[in-house]
Amino acid sequence: MSTAIDGGVRAAFRAIADVLIPAAEGMPAASEVDVHGPVLDRIIGLRPDLAERFFRGIGAIAGLPPETAAVQLNAADPQALAAIGLVASAAYYMQPRVRELIGYPGQEKRPGNPDETPEYVANGMLQQVLDRGPIFKPTPKA
Amino acid sequence: MSGANRSPGVADVLIIGAGASGSVAVAKLAEAGFSVVCLEQGGHVDNGEFYGDKPEWELMAQKRWHPNPNVRDLENDYPCETSDSDVNPLMYNAVGGSTILYAAHWQRFMPSDFRVRTLDGVADDWPFTYEDLEPFYDEMDIEMGVSGLGGDPAYPPGKAPPLPPLPIGKIGMKAAEGMNKLGWHWWPGPNAAPSRPYRGRNQCVRRGTCLTGCPERAKASMDHTHWPDALKHGAKLITGARVREITVDGNGMATGAIYIDRSGRERRQMAQVVIVCANGVGTPRLLLMSKSARFPDGLANSSGLAGKNLMMHPYAAVSGSFDEPLESWLGPAGQTIQSMQWYETDASRGFVRGAKWQVMPSGGPLGMRAAYGGKPLDEAWGANLHRSTRKVFGRSFEWGIIAEDLPEETNQVVLDPSLTDSDGLAAPKIVYRNTENTHRMIEFHLARAKEAMAAAGAVSMSVTPLMRDCGWHLMGTARMGTDPQRSVVNEWGQAHDVPNLYIYDGSVFVTSSGFNPTGTICAIALRAVKHLIANRRNQRVAA
Repeated sequence: MSTAIDGGVRAAFRAIADVLIPAAEGMPAASEVDVHGPVLDRIIGLRPDLAERFFRGIGAIAGLPPETAAVQLNAADPQALAAIGLVASAAYYMQPRVRELIGYPGQEKRPGNPDETPEYVANGMLQQVLDRGPIFKPTPKA
Repeated sequence: MSGANRSPGVADVLIIGAGASGSVAVAKLAEAGFSVVCLEQGGHVDNGEFYGDKPEWELMAQKRWHPNPNVRDLENDYPCETSDSDVNPLMYNAVGGSTILYAAHWQRFMPSDFRVRTLDGVADDWPFTYEDLEPFYDEMDIEMGVSGLGGDPAYPPGKAPPLPPLPIGKIGMKAAEGMNKLGWHWWPGPNAAPSRPYRGRNQCVRRGTCLTGCPERAKASMDHTHWPDALKHGAKLITGARVREITVDGNGMATGAIYIDRSGRERRQMAQVVIVCANGVGTPRLLLMSKSARFPDGLANSSGLAGKNLMMHPYAAVSGSFDEPLESWLGPAGQTIQSMQWYETDASRGFVRGAKWQVMPSGGPLGMRAAYGGKPLDEAWGANLHRSTRKVFGRSFEWGIIAEDLPEETNQVVLDPSLTDSDGLAAPKIVYRNTENTHRMIEFHLARAKEAMAAAGAVSMSVTPLMRDCGWHLMGTARMGTDPQRSVVNEWGQAHDVPNLYIYDGSVFVTSSGFNPTGTICAIALRAVKHLIANRRNQRVAA
């Protein structure tokens, strides 16, 4: 089993990635954001634990039409398809264009202002909790 | 215990484990002038190693920074055999221990937690009360830099946390609105993450990546809160040191430990007092590995309870999605709000004890995909992937439920007969099954959490009745008590069988409560180490 990301692997991955993540619902297909490009190398480099299942899956679908490849791999080797799907979806959702389309800025910095009165205090929401009174059982007398 | 009488190379105190309890103990003992050596099997973690501020965050969260050591599979981890367990134990081995990856929910137990036998007729009472522990809770709040709001009616009146609460965000507000409609308790969650810069740490910027490490150097992990001062006061930290045995002399007194360094060499560290802080799995594992002619069943195990009564907190959740965007990737993660509405026992529910709830954010788009494993191809992928992402991502949050599990001797840590770590030491085997009381409790709480979600306006929900990777809280396996036949250590963590051996971690818990335990682990360690320091002249040591 080859573990090099050569042109054939890249092409096979691109094809099956487009079955898993097609152009639909206003979103681009996986290949439109180059999931088969340098980000593929980066992901396999960061997650070498995925390599064996990824390459096993890619090797198993050689020559098959992409839709058939996805269905057959899902039935015969779901772990391999899961690895391919994880690589594809990780690469996809890392792309700035995709993140912009789904409204995700990433795990952004957004510190609060500790000197600001919280909204739930200012609008009386928390006071309702206080008005309901204590809810704990005290330590029983010895 | 006296430094003047000890031999060269013999530390006053040896501490095994540089996590939550070990770090508190090291810092206080070093500050008090003791010579302290700490053995930690992991290494140092630099905040730059975390991926929370990088696009690859979710990808790496599933492997390198996963809380399950069996998934991470690093050399500094030991494997855990879990085929007979409903839940996987979670931990991190490094300077700072599991606080590297904890969510920093900084909770106190409630008064009833220390009197379960008296109030509910099950388990046992603790050898001290909430009021005994309260000053140490207060002190730890300050040491950790806890952000929160005083006055929570789920607790007796007391001191407020030292820092204002972190924002609860849109998800917290949405959840709180639902709770108020139902007339149920909620409160902004206390977090060990500073809402403003604090003692050399940065302000929490709400990245929401606490569970995979804080790249901001904001979260209160022990490598930042306690180790700088401990080292300044002369504590000696040896990393990559995997302890295989606590040694004893002919009188049954602890003399130190044998450990294996990362070159595979066996080394010995002698000490007058040994304190084990290796968590609720690592500590009983070490006791059971430390067999000798005098202690054939393992060290400090005349009760037979070393390793037994393991409690790991079954975790269930109800996730809800909403029509409007909620920015539900924003931290703290951490918790935004919590509820103890259903915490105390009500016998009419058909079970005893209860659970704490918390609202946590739901992370990024890739993590959501995890729920699709094993689903039909066209359901998990294709156009449905885009539809489900649009429907749920950024518009959902989770009511998480930490269910109190009661001590059962059949739930335990034993040594696996065949699985070993990278040094050939026996791995722990986890035997853990949820009881009928737990099943009933979870069923009840899930039903209430669905009501809370509906009241908040959720348009769809999904239920997780028991998360397998949820054993963050490792407790009970060297329980404290006054009776040496029914406990391993006394209220100060001192082993009944070995007067100069102490245990300070979550192993000593008598019951589990329904709360995240790190705040209580640290408060207990602080109380115990202060007692040890105050009574140093009465401490028996090996001749």
